[in-house]
Amino acid sequence: MSMQSKLNRFKKHLVSEKKAPLAKAPPVQDLEHGETWASFETSPYYYEDAFCLIREVCYPLNHRWGRYSFEELKEVMEGWKQAGDGHPLSSGQLAPSDLLFFDTETTGLSGGAGNTIFLLGHSQVKEQEVRVKQYFLPGPGAEIAMYHYFLTQVKELKNLVTYNGKSFDWPQVKTRHTLIRDFVPSLPAFGHFDLLHGSRRLWKSSLESVRLSVVEKEILDVKREHDTPGYLAPMLYFQYLKNNDPELVKGVMTHNEWDVLSLITLYIHISKLLQGSGAQMSSVEQYESARWYEAVGQHDLALQKYSALLETENSYSRLAKKAAAALYKKQKREDLAVPLWEELCQDALQNDETPFIELSKWYEHQQKDAQKALHFAEAAYGVWKNKKRLLKRTEEKEKAALVNRIQRLRKKCELC
Amino acid sequence: MEIKKTMQELLALLRTEPSISNQIVHWETIEEKEAVTGGIPDSLHSHIRKALEDRGVTSLYSHQLSAFQTSLEGNSFVAVTPTASGKTLCYNLPVLQEIANHPDSRALYLFPTKALAQDQKAEMNEFINAIELDIKSYTYDGDTPANIRQVVRKAGNIVMTNPDMLHSAILPHHTKWVSLFENLKYIVIDELHTYRGVFGSHVANVIRRLKRICSFYGSNPLFICTSATIANPKDLAETLTGSPMKLIDNNGAPSGRKHFIFYNPPVVNKPLNVRKSATLEARDLAGYFLKNKIQTIVFARSRVRVEILLTYLQELAKKEYGMKSIQGYRGGYLPTQRRAIERGLRNGEIMGVVSTNALELGVDIGQLHACILTGYPGSIASAWQQAGRAGRRQDESVVIMVASSSPMDQYIVSQPEYFFDRSPESARINPENLIILVDHVKCAAYELPFGEGDTFGEVKIEDILEFLTEEQVLHHQGKRYFWMNDSFPAHNISLRSASQENVVIVDQSDVANVRIIGEMDRFSSMTLLHEEAIYLHQGVQYQVEKLDYEEKKAYVREVDVDYFTDANLAVSLKVLEIDKNTVLEGQERAFGEVTVNAMATIFKKIKFETHENIGSGPIYLPEEELHTSATWLEFDRKAFDDVAESSMEQGLIGIANVLKNVAPLFVMCDPSDLHVVPQIKAVHSDKPTIFLYDRYPGGIGLSENVYKIWDTVISEAYRVIDTCPCESGCPSCTGTMLEGENAKDLSLKLLKKVRRDHHVDAVQTESF
Repeated sequence: MSMQSKLNRFKKHLVSEKKAPLAKAPPVQDLEHGETWASFETSPYYYEDAFCLIREVCYPLNHRWGRYSFEELKEVMEGWKQAGDGHPLSSGQLAPSDLLFFDTETTGLSGGAGNTIFLLGHSQVKEQEVRVKQYFLPGPGAEIAMYHYFLTQVKELKNLVTYNGKSFDWPQVKTRHTLIRDFVPSLPAFGHFDLLHGSRRLWKSSLESVRLSVVEKEILDVKREHDTPGYLAPMLYFQYLKNNDPELVKGVMTHNEWDVLSLITLYIHISKLLQGSGAQMSSVEQYESARWYEAVGQHDLALQKYSALLETENSYSRLAKKAAAALYKKQKREDLAVPLWEELCQDALQNDETPFIELSKWYEHQQKDAQKALHFAEAAYGVWKNKKRLLKRTEEKEKAALVNRIQRLRKKCELC
Repeated sequence: MEIKKTMQELLALLRTEPSISNQIVHWETIEEKEAVTGGIPDSLHSHIRKALEDRGVTSLYSHQLSAFQTSLEGNSFVAVTPTASGKTLCYNLPVLQEIANHPDSRALYLFPTKALAQDQKAEMNEFINAIELDIKSYTYDGDTPANIRQVVRKAGNIVMTNPDMLHSAILPHHTKWVSLFENLKYIVIDELHTYRGVFGSHVANVIRRLKRICSFYGSNPLFICTSATIANPKDLAETLTGSPMKLIDNNGAPSGRKHFIFYNPPVVNKPLNVRKSATLEARDLAGYFLKNKIQTIVFARSRVRVEILLTYLQELAKKEYGMKSIQGYRGGYLPTQRRAIERGLRNGEIMGVVSTNALELGVDIGQLHACILTGYPGSIASAWQQAGRAGRRQDESVVIMVASSSPMDQYIVSQPEYFFDRSPESARINPENLIILVDHVKCAAYELPFGEGDTFGEVKIEDILEFLTEEQVLHHQGKRYFWMNDSFPAHNISLRSASQENVVIVDQSDVANVRIIGEMDRFSSMTLLHEEAIYLHQGVQYQVEKLDYEEKKAYVREVDVDYFTDANLAVSLKVLEIDKNTVLEGQERAFGEVTVNAMATIFKKIKFETHENIGSGPIYLPEEELHTSATWLEFDRKAFDDVAESSMEQGLIGIANVLKNVAPLFVMCDPSDLHVVPQIKAVHSDKPTIFLYDRYPGGIGLSENVYKIWDTVISEAYRVIDTCPCESGCPSCTGTMLEGENAKDLSLKLLKKVRRDHHVDAVQTESF
């Protein structure tokens, strides 16, 4: 039996991959639909025996994209200049045009060697304008041309701003680059501001998901019309490969263009939240940005943010109080922590024994007042008893610690 | 020494005590063998030499020396190494020598299981510490934490993994392993003999992919394989790796005198020829040894039997040595647990180990004095591997194989020469199985584009690439074929399962903790996972509550019942194409392609002890279709005009029952891989025919091998039935028959006509 007929007999066992529903046309090496491309600000760039397509679009600086206009990037970066490098998202001494807002479109979601990047897009806020540049792969054989132009035109990759680029886009660029590394310039060193991490910190609890499209809609006020959803990108690209019709991928390219523009707005917004400069912050945003500063070791800035939260009554005051007190204790400024603990203890609605324990510790070790320490330890036990717990083992541990404390303090009191 | 004396006394007891000696059907004594050694070669790196000397190693066995020499000469090799012959040095010395001299060099070790890799890492790291060089060795498997993975990729001189991991995690992400692939000098394949059948055919293709990636990064590693004794180690290694191999089979390890005894339990039901349970007999024999303080290992074929034996022997040993003196051994033990068993055996705290065949795979727990096999393990190679667990270098040891009633076991004990004189089985793989091949061409295309005219291993694949382009999995542009699909092909392909579309078995006994306990191919699921079926998993009974055939899920719940279920499968078989055939007097033998259509019809509930039928029910499942290769034996009706139609049918069924057990012996496969179907009127010829077909779509070469050795298979089937002590057919030969039919005579009558004992040579040349 011939190989062909065998292959067809076993077809059911051999192919489980989904097909793009389009008839096949012969693959073409030269640019087709040149005029359509040109009217879409896109032109071919030849390198050796292949070409890639490069698209350039510009926006004026005062163009508004969601909540902000692009020129506000300058302001927040000025803010970072003054604040210094204390935060991982700080742009420090960089100028606006140093930041490269970067996103890719790929043929799949898996991170393996066979997942091709067919579009590299970035935006940049220049002196005069905002420029979006996209490198499009007209066929899988043109990767060398695409990366050649991308890597020679974009010399600096030190300051990429991405959304999940740390674990997806950039490793994928590295993967594809490895496959053709002998034919293209080497990858420069790169630095990274991944805004997904920040979005997760700030909005995980308030949004159903922190996908960029959700953040855009709910937080950034970016309204997209006639957007091509990202998940259709691979299918549309496969169809494009069959008949080279630019109309199929225009939507994908516009989608990518909007993504890299939204990244600018998102960076402005998160910077404003962190700098506490004017953006109307919700209490959860204030609380989470304070926690973020705390996590990166910027305790003074964290305390500033926590204190700001304490000025008004809100659902985060109690958490902020507790966090601030803990930070003061860490800084050995118990005098500032004690009033906060006392306030927390007076809040009868909350059943949390920890401020009582803290006060007990403070009276025992700092004030050497065993009586008062015992009073708070017993109060702590009273609160603890009323709590409902899920884990038996933690429960036993907590109980043992409390009982020990009380016994020790009782002994101390007897000795006095 | 006291133990030695006791062993001799026991051997005498086995010979003289009538209740035992009457059941011994064969006693083979294998004389002791002196070690063959040579000095440590001068070229060995001084640090490695010193580490060996510190451990008291001042000479090497002949096979270890050959291995070292062969690798220095730049040749790939396969070393045949019986149990406990120091095989690890065969690969560790060349690899460590290379890395000691060139610290950038890398080596990849492949073990068939995760446990083996972890075992070897522990041993390797001890040795590396002794060498006092900065050599890094890691395991890389599903349990490796994410933060360690990066270290392994960037800096592991030796990476120990398994083929599944290589297939789904390393090769598709090869760009993250650049420094490994650029500097890869050795690929070590341990336990080569386990790479057979479907699994081996998959792995051969994974290695084709591996070699492709290596050549992309400019490396050309050597292969080092080690194998248990099989008939065709060189051939298997060459097919698996696609590289020329030197064979090293000059095992120089010493061995003590060994007694190999075949024990056939007494017949308890004469007319039905039913024998006493092998498990119970094995239990009693193990008791003799243990009572006399002789360290014993008992092998059982299933987990349930391990549990039964364990409970009994622990009870027996409790008073004298304590419960812990008898340990169970199952697959999936952690290295620390194994070390504890090993230690216990060495210091005498542990007297006995009861194991499934998990121990067959090179896991070293030390050597014992006595070994009892409960039933024939299915192949000569496995039997020798298990037997290898008994026997220290100086002492005398004994191996007893207790036969069960199955035709396969009865065949072995009645034909000791089959076992002792015949070389062990050949391990066969068929990397060209179209379905397996295409699966891996997809994975390979995902990893790197194919060029026009590229081959995959030695296979021309232009047609496959064109086919995949047509199916829109690949994109043909310029002179190359690119992967152009949004899926990740390796995730849909399992190296171990018989088919891509497996039914997942979901245990919902604990509603809060629903878990997946196994998977099964669709074809088998029809008869084993239909609704209300009792499914046995690791000795626990589950009842299938729902089989979602569309979603490929079977939902089961734990039960405790005293019956099992047995489903009827209506099978129809059509010949599509005859590739080869031999016409002989009164018969025709052929090989070709067939379609098997199978439909589950009804199931019966059968009570455990009495085998009473206590209920039945219908099965509603769609028909399944399987395209595969088959060989068949056609009887010319004219030559049997004195046989009535119904008798003919009984005869065919009887022969089929024997072939089911005998044919796998000769092509080295599991009985479930090769199905036998008798048909009184085959669709394509209207003739009485017995078909043997490969259970895997497209075939993996089993039936093709049977076609080549029909004469042997027929003669052996004849001999099994003829020499069986039953009167008119029994479960040990033709199976139980309808009242009034003498299946034994009928089967023999049919076989006699097609048997050609004196023309063995002629037929073998004919059939090619």
